[in-house]
Amino acid sequence: MKGKHKVIVQNKRIRYDFELNRNITILQGDSATGKTILIEMIQEYMNQGKASMVDLQCDKKCGVISGSTWQGQLSQFSDSIIFIDEGNSFILSVEFAKEIQKTDNYYVIVTREGLPNLPYSVEEIYGIHSSGKYGHLKKCYQTFYHLYNIQSAEKKYISQNSDY
Amino acid sequence: MLKVYFGDMKEAIYNTSVYFKNDYEDDWITNPFVKEMIKDVDSSEVMYSGVIDSPVLGKITPTKLSGGVKTLILVKFEADVVFNASTCGDNCSKWLLKIAEEEDRTINLRHIMDFGEGEFLIRILNTGDIVHNMKELTDIAVNFV
Repeated sequence: MKGKHKVIVQNKRIRYDFELNRNITILQGDSATGKTILIEMIQEYMNQGKASMVDLQCDKKCGVISGSTWQGQLSQFSDSIIFIDEGNSFILSVEFAKEIQKTDNYYVIVTREGLPNLPYSVEEIYGIHSSGKYGHLKKCYQTFYHLYNIQSAEKKYISQNSDY
Repeated sequence: MLKVYFGDMKEAIYNTSVYFKNDYEDDWITNPFVKEMIKDVDSSEVMYSGVIDSPVLGKITPTKLSGGVKTLILVKFEADVVFNASTCGDNCSKWLLKIAEEEDRTINLRHIMDFGEGEFLIRILNTGDIVHNMKELTDIAVNFV
């Protein structure tokens, strides 16, 4: 799989709208921003389809893998977007790094840990930002934002050091 | 004092959400300190032990709290167990320090958590050093994560 892929996941209360640019995207940031909810909604859509009342729009199949049987789960996906929540220690393993390099999937991984075995860009580390209003039955709109941005970091560094 | 072991720690509980789901007790949730943590981190109100009012999700059970708050609750009530606190965002760091104000607590961090710009006391178990600010903490932690 190559290129950008837009993903919209929503139910009555919450909507996620984001675009993936590379094969590995890392999601981190503050607690309670909705990272796990996003993955649960994708899992529910994967299990129940439209009967889950989750609406998932993407040009690629989306799925979730977790737990000790991750290899078997992963073998069922190709040309797909795979989401992995935190708490799955297999993401740190050499086996996982080897397996995903054999695949043509995109991966969205929730973790604050460094993943030295995986070749991902610092530009593809995101937090989730809520741009909607909280409140009863009002939908909360969630989007991704860059946690680290090389260009802005360079500009900041140059501006901080411009007097020297 | 808060004690932190940076990097891989075999005895630490890695998946804190599963541990919480099978371990939490109703009266933990209604504890005033916990109610305050839930209000601050999750912007949610504890209605009674089994029900929390979330502005995004509506009425939820404690198992649907954020991963960060679940870990904070475990750190508070399971003093003898070491938990992976890299399941907590930076918005949980002040609560880790507060929990450890009265009683020592040990946590495992697999990333460099931001404990803020102020002064604090943290013992880094990898080296035995006590650090007082983020610069001191980062200088040591960077060798282990």
